[in-house]
Amino acid sequence: MNTPRSSLGDARSGKLPEQILALARALRRAGVPLDSSRIALACEAARLVGLARRDDLRCALQASLVSREQDRAVFAELFDAMFRNPDIANKLLAQMLPRTETRPTPPQRKPRTSEALSPPRESDKGRTPQSAKEDLLDLDAAMTASERQRLHHADFNALSASEFRLVERLAREIALPIPEYATRRMQPGSRGERPHWPGMLREAARHSGEPLRIPRLRRTRQALPLLVLVDVSGSMERYARLLLAFLHSATRGGAGTQGRRPRRHLRRDVFAFGTRLTDLTPAFALRDPDDMLEACNAAIDDFAGGTRLGESLATLRREHARRLTGQRTLVLMISDGLDTGEPGLLANELDWLCRNSRALLWLNPLLRFDGYAPLARGAAQLHSHADGMLAVHNLQSLDELAARIAQLLAGAPSRSNSGSSPRPRPHPQQVGRFQDT
Amino acid sequence: MSSGITTSSSLESIDGVMQALAGAGYFADRPLATAVFLSLRLQRPLLLEGEPGVGKTELAKALSRVLQRDLIRLQCYDGMELRDALYEWNYSAQMLHMRAAEHVHAGSEGVQELEREIYQQRYLIKRPLLQALQAPLPGAVLLIDEVDRADEPFEAFLLEYLGEYQVSIPELGTIRAASTPVTILTSNRTRDLNDAVKRRCLYHWLDHPGRERELEILRTLVPQAGAALTEQVAQFVNRLRSQPFAGAFQRTPAIAESVEWARALVALDTLDLDPEVVTSTAGILFKQRDDVAALTQDLARELLAPAQAPS
Repeated sequence: MNTPRSSLGDARSGKLPEQILALARALRRAGVPLDSSRIALACEAARLVGLARRDDLRCALQASLVSREQDRAVFAELFDAMFRNPDIANKLLAQMLPRTETRPTPPQRKPRTSEALSPPRESDKGRTPQSAKEDLLDLDAAMTASERQRLHHADFNALSASEFRLVERLAREIALPIPEYATRRMQPGSRGERPHWPGMLREAARHSGEPLRIPRLRRTRQALPLLVLVDVSGSMERYARLLLAFLHSATRGGAGTQGRRPRRHLRRDVFAFGTRLTDLTPAFALRDPDDMLEACNAAIDDFAGGTRLGESLATLRREHARRLTGQRTLVLMISDGLDTGEPGLLANELDWLCRNSRALLWLNPLLRFDGYAPLARGAAQLHSHADGMLAVHNLQSLDELAARIAQLLAGAPSRSNSGSSPRPRPHPQQVGRFQDT
Repeated sequence: MSSGITTSSSLESIDGVMQALAGAGYFADRPLATAVFLSLRLQRPLLLEGEPGVGKTELAKALSRVLQRDLIRLQCYDGMELRDALYEWNYSAQMLHMRAAEHVHAGSEGVQELEREIYQQRYLIKRPLLQALQAPLPGAVLLIDEVDRADEPFEAFLLEYLGEYQVSIPELGTIRAASTPVTILTSNRTRDLNDAVKRRCLYHWLDHPGRERELEILRTLVPQAGAALTEQVAQFVNRLRSQPFAGAFQRTPAIAESVEWARALVALDTLDLDPEVVTSTAGILFKQRDDVAALTQDLARELLAPAQAPS
């Protein structure tokens, strides 16, 4: 078609469709949603732009294979790997030449890319329906002992492709609908509780005075503001990563969440606490979970240290009290309650937090132990203040999270008139006590 | 659906698209031109995502100039209903017709006849989506702007529209496009769109422009600014975006802001940027109070310093 260049590898010898297919498969392995119609579209697009320029081919394939911004970086890396990045080729060439002294460093890739490029596991080959089922079980037990062991040692700032898929699945299948409240504002809508008389008169005036239909007004609804406090102390390290990633995609309206959860105007503030308080809200504004975790990692300088919950809450009250808007905020505190700070201070701060929020939910991974009792000083304080205690150590417990949140909020009325007096609290309930697998 | 698109011969290659768009005053980089080229050739809608102000809507306008087709724009908003987007019966005209008809033939046998008469194309108020389907040849450029602001039911409706380019009106039957409209969808990502909608579209992420592209845009849109000032504005805005602290701003200035800024500087008879001018006009670059406050004179001086310009 056009003058060939050397950077396209096998594509020139008529293997382009195969290569596009391989690229699409790798993208799918890396968690990019793709169906066969898009692959056909990509082949068509590649035929149209031709092979004269590598960047044209890249743009054409990207336009047809990628449909989310957070997948663009992975696409770029996989494309370079599949269509023979000249830089990599040069490095390989340099390695083969005699007298090379320095070893070329392998290109830095996103963990998602690396895993998508790695050869499939033995168990994947010759898969039968039964083995597929086993595979599913394997995924379900994502936080089993070996996986946890691996996560314990895993680098905080990157999600591998399988973790990425797991998180996406969590966000997709484990609904985390934030309860909504009806605001005071009304807007015209086809279904509404109140007739819109001025609108009706206006419309009748246009139709020779005939009232043809009665427009209605409905209250606009808005999700409760969310404040997430994540414990990143040493004892919580293994959970913090996946939970951060899960909350990031579950509260952002990621792929596949549409239709169930309107995410518009959702207010969400995220803080990490260990020995001090770190504001993670800017990091959460990033779309790519890898970028988000990287930014979190950079922001948190006391990762895997101790827990000083009282001091952290005091900082929150002093510097960020404005973010707790109008006692509507739903506070999710993810912690094991193993606090090394002063208990008196913690009690005061928790008092304040409860007075200034709609509900405080304590997500406690230690609930996985049968017969767990909040005996530690910090845990006891949290237990007496929180509106509910939920387990968050495995998929099943996360599955119940949304239901429990809705249930607790339905049972716990707004604290708007509770003032400073202690109010009757629903008894903290334990759910999802699961055996340590 | 007929074969439809009659692209002028200049649009038969990616370079041609770039040149044609540049001729219409829109400077597209090569990846964007590739996406446009494919969208025209494959007759697929093109979904553009990106920060506000990077030129998503402008692209549709430029395309309508290049293709010499009408631009039909549907601005989406929260609570938009199908009758705002597709069609509505003109009730008052229908009623007038009925009143007039009552006088003409008072007999009861004409009732069904009358009902048939009032459901005709001439009593149909066409909204943008229907207009785009029924546009005379060579067709129209349809811009569905800020589709992320519309409700999810509307997205579901778009599936049929974008997939088949046809709609059904119960009283009239199915209306097919005589010529496939060139469709551009834009989204500011206030929420993620349905996967099914995305699957029907080609996707392109529009980023802030590079320095050269921004220079060209400024030269074309604000020619009275003069070479030196244009250069300074492009340099300043680009450096502002590329700084490591740029993430601290709630919204970094996009092309729309830098063009507006250049126009304001011309209106203020500025020949040369200095820290004072920058801070006093920061309200044009930034639309957030915190951001305006963050652009201090020291920071402006640092960004204006020529020594730090390796690029």
